[in-house]
Amino acid sequence: MLAFRSEAHVEGWCRQRSVAKGAVFSFDQLWDLARTWYSDRLSPRWTRATAAEAQRVFDGLGLSGPFWRLQ
Amino acid sequence: MERDAAVRVELYRQFVGSGRAPTHAEVGEALGLGEDEAAESFRRLADAHTIVLKPGTLELWMAAPFSAVETRYRVETPLGSFYGNCAWDSLGVLAMLDTDGVVSTTCDDCGQELELRVDGSRIAGDGVVHFLVPAAHWWDDIGYT
Repeated sequence: MLAFRSEAHVEGWCRQRSVAKGAVFSFDQLWDLARTWYSDRLSPRWTRATAAEAQRVFDGLGLSGPFWRLQ
Repeated sequence: MERDAAVRVELYRQFVGSGRAPTHAEVGEALGLGEDEAAESFRRLADAHTIVLKPGTLELWMAAPFSAVETRYRVETPLGSFYGNCAWDSLGVLAMLDTDGVVSTTCDDCGQELELRVDGSRIAGDGVVHFLVPAAHWWDDIGYT
C-alpha cells in the first residue's frame, strides 16, 4: 500500500509497470482504516481478525466491491 | 495458546520501548522461557500470520504495523521513531500507540516528499494511497501488496 501525490501519479506508476490500478483513496480514509484496524493491537486480548470480521471492518468503512472481498 | 499470546504482547512491549525488533531470545528471557520455547512460539505466530519472519530465519520482519527493517515510511512520535511496513501501517503505528506524530515518505511515482501529520486524532497531508493487490490476495506475498 503505497503513497502517491495524486491519483494521476498512481496511474502513471501503473502504466510504467503495466499493472492494473487497484484501489485508490484519500489519507483521511486511510487514517480511518488504520485506526479501526490497529487501535487495539497492543491489547493482551487482541486476536487476529477472522475473514468475516475483517470483511465487516471494510464494509463499515465503505470499502466494498470485488477488490475488498475476502472470501 | 496462552504462551503465544504472552510472547506477542511482550514482543510488542519491547518493540515500543526500544524502537527496534526484539529477538525471540530476548522475548523468551523476559517471560522466563527457554530459547527453544520462544523460537517455537515465534514460528507459531508466524504460521498464524500474526507476525512475519524474514524468510528462513527467526528474525522479525513485520510485527504489523511495525517494520523491523528500514522502509520508506518513517514514523516520528513522542514515544520514539519507527518504520511502518507501508502507508497503511505507518498510520497504524500512530493509531496503535494512540499518539500524534508525523509520517515521512515519498511519492512512489515521482519521489516528491510527502508528509502525513496526525494531530489530536485529525490527519493532514496531501496525497492518496494505492492498494495494488486485492484484499483476498494480500497473504499470497505480504511483502508485495
